[in-house]
Parts: sequence; structure tokens; C-alpha cells
Amino acid sequence: MLLWARRVTQGLFLLLFILLFLQTEQKGADHLGYPVKLFLDADPLLALATFLSAHTLAAGFALSLVLAALTVLLGRVFCGWACPLGTLHNLAGALRRWQGPRRVLGWFRVKYLLLVFLLAGSAVGLQLTGLFDPLSLLARHLALGPYPALNYAANGTMDAVYRIDRKALTVVAEALFGLLRKSVLAFQQPRFAQSALLTALLLAILLLNLKERRFWCRYLCPLGALLGLLGRRALLRRETAEGCNACGVCDRNCQGGLRALAENGWIGSECLYCMACDDACPKNAVSFGFRTGPAAALDLGRRRVLLAGGAGFAAVAVSRATPDFGDRANPELIRPPGARSEPEFLARCVKCGECMKVCTTNGLQPTFLEAGPEGIWSPMLVPTRGYCEFSCTLCGQVCPTGAIRPLAPAEKAQWRIGTAMFDRGRCLPHAHATPCIVCEEVCPTPAKAIWFEEVVVKDRDGRPVTVKQPHVDLKLCIGCGICEAKCPISDRPAVHVTSIGETRSRKNQMLLDNSPYG
Amino acid sequence: MERRDFLKDSAGALAAFALAPLVAAAPAARPDLAVAHGASPERIVRAAVDALGGIRRFIAKGDVVVVKPNIGWDRKPEQAATTNPMVVATLVKLCLEAGAAKVKVFDRTCNDPRRCYVQSGIEAAARSAGADVSFVDERRFREVKIPNGVAIQSWPIYIDLLEADKVISAPIAKHHGLARLTLAHKNWMGVMGENRGRIHQRLDETLVDITTVIKPCFTVLDAVRILTAHGPQGGSLADVKQLDTVIAGVDQVAIDAYGTTLFGLTGADIGYIREGARRGLGVMDLARLRIQKVEA
Repeated sequence: MLLWARRVTQGLFLLLFILLFLQTEQKGADHLGYPVKLFLDADPLLALATFLSAHTLAAGFALSLVLAALTVLLGRVFCGWACPLGTLHNLAGALRRWQGPRRVLGWFRVKYLLLVFLLAGSAVGLQLTGLFDPLSLLARHLALGPYPALNYAANGTMDAVYRIDRKALTVVAEALFGLLRKSVLAFQQPRFAQSALLTALLLAILLLNLKERRFWCRYLCPLGALLGLLGRRALLRRETAEGCNACGVCDRNCQGGLRALAENGWIGSECLYCMACDDACPKNAVSFGFRTGPAAALDLGRRRVLLAGGAGFAAVAVSRATPDFGDRANPELIRPPGARSEPEFLARCVKCGECMKVCTTNGLQPTFLEAGPEGIWSPMLVPTRGYCEFSCTLCGQVCPTGAIRPLAPAEKAQWRIGTAMFDRGRCLPHAHATPCIVCEEVCPTPAKAIWFEEVVVKDRDGRPVTVKQPHVDLKLCIGCGICEAKCPISDRPAVHVTSIGETRSRKNQMLLDNSPYG
Repeated sequence: MERRDFLKDSAGALAAFALAPLVAAAPAARPDLAVAHGASPERIVRAAVDALGGIRRFIAKGDVVVVKPNIGWDRKPEQAATTNPMVVATLVKLCLEAGAAKVKVFDRTCNDPRRCYVQSGIEAAARSAGADVSFVDERRFREVKIPNGVAIQSWPIYIDLLEADKVISAPIAKHHGLARLTLAHKNWMGVMGENRGRIHQRLDETLVDITTVIKPCFTVLDAVRILTAHGPQGGSLADVKQLDTVIAGVDQVAIDAYGTTLFGLTGADIGYIREGARRGLGVMDLARLRIQKVEA
């Protein structure tokens, strides 16, 4: 009974997560109309880490307090009943039959030490928490790995059927395809750098369940650790009544890997409140009820805690002794419109991948080491993949921590993410006496940042050819990259955007007018 | 399904024109161009089409019709970068009133299609008028031979357009950096597949080449608002002029030649209009055209 109540609840939360994930997509209007970052907003770990690293309250701070308060009262019910990654762990664990007595690794403390490491790093501005936070992790890996792969599989299959070109088959397949496109598939095939790696990592985390059920939740999850600390003295506790004959069924069924049978074996901070023990007990001796009193001690070991914290502090220095934190900005690191100055951006970005998922053109791609090791999987615009749509402000709307500020349309129209410049050796009108000017046509700034000069040049035979040669007005260009995206020289366009001139940076400027002194 | 009207050779087109007098009276009085002016886009579209002989001259019961507007950019109607939504909706209504079985509306956009369809107001207006509005499906292009092509000998064209019984062109009149103006001829870029940007290298010839194989039964050039500078996207309302006008006709060269006058130019100023007239696809000289002006 309890088992099914839990499974249904888990299923509903997973469905909600997936529904919001699928709604994280451009629909044509200026707003999405769904609270797509609901799970991230409700996450107390992301809120705490953002508070420590950026000294600011995340947008969903209030919501995360609700979950924190709930945990103080009821323990880690979120882990057992709501966490979408936890539910996937349950599903993965069901791939194996669990029989007989079991041995558990018992590395419960690891997750607390990881939490201490991450939060110590946050306290000095290093935001690594999002890499391990289960909700951020799941959103990111799903969006960048399996989801594009699912789309590829569906599109590829449908294309193959379409090419067979049998009318009856096509009609049925296209009806099905249309349904899929309206429900689960993306509008355009999403493609992301490191997609395979991100899928593999998610799979690896899920496969840990074959070693031990909910391995991640028991030993690694930093959100689980935070909720464990909050819920350590929760009022909702497990009780064993008189009839217990120590048969050990509860031990074998415990998803938290607890020695539930042993004296003091039930530990509030480790219980996932799946209530499998209650369900399984043949004597009906196990139950959950509200109780007060002392809770089991949680001894992490002082030296270990100090070491983990120290490592967190040290990690800042280790990850920042790279050229990316020198005086020059990385020219290819084009951050989304509304992104804060690089240090502040890095302090806030939790790499949840929401901005990349929602990006209209698929131009926002995960970084690898472009922003240093700490910036891994943060968003950067790759104009040859997709440009920044002039009137779109979705990335700022879905960012849970304000690393990308939501911009008003008027502000967006002025916001410079970089500057385009021509490679005259490749440009058709500049170097090859051939008319083109696609860049000028697509340039979206109302006064046209790309302008042209009508010039008579000579072709190979000395004949005069009138061409319009494009130029960039550095004061008008916002670096959206549509010129680069649509340049007919598609492999390496004759116009290229780099980060110079970006609104968010005081240093990465070239013009006197844009300097603090001009 | 076979391709009909618009892929017809000129002999076929003439035959169709010869049949027209059977259904409409006094062909001699019929204008080459109808220029309608008035505050309501719906009323002026209806008046212009009526002046040409009425929608039933062009659309028969049971026809599958494509109304092809310009939805190319992520702009709002008042920015005059996309066809006025009411102009599109009225054409849809007219076709359905004439008994069309289905009216399809689509365009291969330059900006994100979802934003273009929504922000231009065309998706909502056409759909509520009863049209079947869909995004262009990149798989649905078929290579079409262009027998008299000067710059291109073939190009992939959107299948829904090829398979329609009738096509109505609904471009907007606006400024363009390379071509100076974009009018009816340039509307066909929106049904061309693959990397269309390359046609800019011989834009005038290519636009005329494409026009030789796509024959709309008539064209309504939207000049309710025109974009006078920084086209084809514009963005600033300072570049928009409200003219409350539409121009309807069958001859695309004539339509475009008249369209240039809205910008203080003549047909001869625009490369593809000269090229179209030179190849005998239509009449560029306004003095040789019967132009009927209507207030509505």
C-alpha cells in the first residue's frame, strides 16, 4: 500500500520534471508560460551555494526554504518520494534482482564531506555545487545528452521511413511523427558539444545502482547530505514494535542501505523514507510515526571535515591559476545576453543547462575548458552552431541563479555579447569580386551595424565589377552572430564574432567610448 | 499528385486566361493592376480582388490553395518587415468563400520560424480565418528544373507549393540593401530550399529564374505599411510609412514596377524588374498598363 503510494508520487514528480523539461523550449512568444525552473528553485543546496558564492539570494529562495522546513519536520522525504533523479535510481536499481543477505560499502560520510568541500569552495566564490547537485545534474545531462540522442533516433527513423516512400506507410508514420513532435520531440534537432560524454556520465551514475541500490543517494548526493543534516532530528521516525523477531526483511529492503535491524541502526539522516521496511515487515512491527527525543549522532570525523573544507578553499586557487583568469578575455567565450561579469557569472552559474536547453537556435553550447576548469558546462554562444535571436530573452528567464539576468526587450536590443569583424581574405565582395551582402541583410539592429560601400573592383580578366563590400559599425554591433551563422562561406565564415566589447565586462573593451574614461 | 497551374508553360497560362471570359463579363474593362486604398486592410484587399474580376476568377471550388506571405523575420506587424496579417487572413477568407477545399499558409523564414509565425501575427490571423498554417518541413523539397534559367538551372522548391492547385502571392513592399526593394519577385525565396544565401551572388537573374517556374494565379502586394530604409528587417518605426494600400494583379513585373513608385522609384531602377521585362515575363512600363484605383 505504502509502496504504491510512494511509487505513484515518485512517478508524478518525475512526470512533472519531464513536462517542465519539455516546456523549456521556444514557442514563439516572449515568455514560456510555465515555471520551468521549479525544481531548481525549490533546491535548498543551490540556494545555499549561491548565497555563499555570490552573496545573493537565488530567485527561488523562498521555495527552497519550504523544502528545507519540510525536511526539518519530516526528514529526507524529498529523496524517497519526489527527487526525479532518485526515481531514476530506483528504476535503474530494479534492473537487478536483489536477494539474500547483502553487504554495503557504508560510505555514508562521503556525501557530507563532498558537501563540505563544495560549500567551502562556494564560500570563496567557486561554484562547483551545480556539477553534483542532483536536480541541476539531471536537467543538464538530460538536456545535453540523452534528449538530443532521443531526437536523433526519432528523426533518423522517421527520415528512413519517409525515404521508403510508400504512401500508406508514410501516412501512418507521419501521423505518429506529428504526434511525437507535438509532445516529446524538440522543434529542431538539438546538438551539443560533449553530448556523448554527458550521456555516458549520467549512465555511469545510474549504473552504480547495480552495485548498490541508490548508490548515489547513499554515498554521493550533496543535496541528500544537506537534507540529511536538516532532517537529522526530524519528527517523523521509524519505530519497531514488540512483535519484531529479527527476521531481517527490513534490512534487505532498505533503500538507504541501513542496518535497520541493529540497535541504533536506523539513522534519520540516512533514511530515504521509502518505507519499504514498513511495507515488508511480516509481523507488521515496523512503522513510521511522530516522535521527539535525541537523534543518532552523526560523526564525520573532525580531521576529515577540515580536510574537505581545506580542499574546497584550495580548489579555487588550483582552478584559477590558468590563463583564463589573466588580463585577457577568451575571445571565443561569448556569454549569453544578460550574463554578469565573468567572476560573478562563474560564482552563480550552476551549470543546470536550462539556458542551453531553451536557446532558440541551439547556439548556446556547453564549455569544456574555455572558462577554466570551474566553468565546465557553462553556456557559451557558438555562432556557427546558432546565433543569438535578436528579440529572444529566454536564457535569462530560465536561469535559476541570476547568472544570466532576465533582460527587458529594450535592454536586450542594446546588449552587446561581442563584436563581429570581417575576414577580408575570405569575404566574397572583399576578396573575390563577387556580390553577396547576406550579412547586411540579416543584421537585426534597426540601424544596421553592418553597412556596405559600393566599390568597383576588377575580376581576373580586368573587367570592372560593382560589389557592395560590408563593414561593421563597432558602435552598433551587438555581436549576435547572425552574420557569422548565415555567411555563405559556412565552414569558416568570413565574419566572426569574438567577445571583445561585451557589455558585461569593463576590461574587455577596445573603443575609447566604451571605456570608463571615454 | 501532378503539379498544376504555376508550373504551366506560357501556352497553358494563355489558355487559362482565354477561358476566363466565360465566367467573368467584359474582359476588356478588366484592369492589369488594381490599387486599393483605405483604412481597413480587409476592405482594400476585397476591393482590389473584386476589381481584378473577383476571387472566383482565380479560385475554383475544391481547390487546394497556397497563400504565400512574407513571414521571414521576427518582427511585429507595425514594423513592416512581414506581410500584414489582416491582408493574409482576408486572402484566406476569400479563397474559402470561393469554395477552396484547403488554404495553406507557410514561409521558410530567416529568423526562428516559431518567433516569426507568432510575432508577425500571421499564424494567429490566418488560422482564425480558417487556414492550415504549418512550419516548413525541411524534408519536403523537390528539385525543379528551370528550363530558361540564366543563373540557376534547377533548385529545390517546397513540395506543398508544387502540389497546390492555385498559388496566391502576398508579399510586402519594403527596402532591401542589395536589391534596393523587395516586392513580389523576392517572395519566392521563401519556398526555396537549401542555402539560399548564395543566390545573392546573382540576385536579379536568380529571382527572375525562379519566377519563370512559379506562377501565382494573382499577387497582392501589401503596402498597408511599407519599410523605407534598413530593410528587409527594419525594426525602427521611423523607417515605416503607413500607405493603407494594396496592389493586386496577375503580372508580377507590373506589380513590382508599380510597387517601386511607392518609394519614389521606377521599375527600371530595380535590376530584377528590368531583367523580368527584358525576358518578356511582364510589362514594366506603367504607361502600357490599365491601372484601376479604388477607394475602399
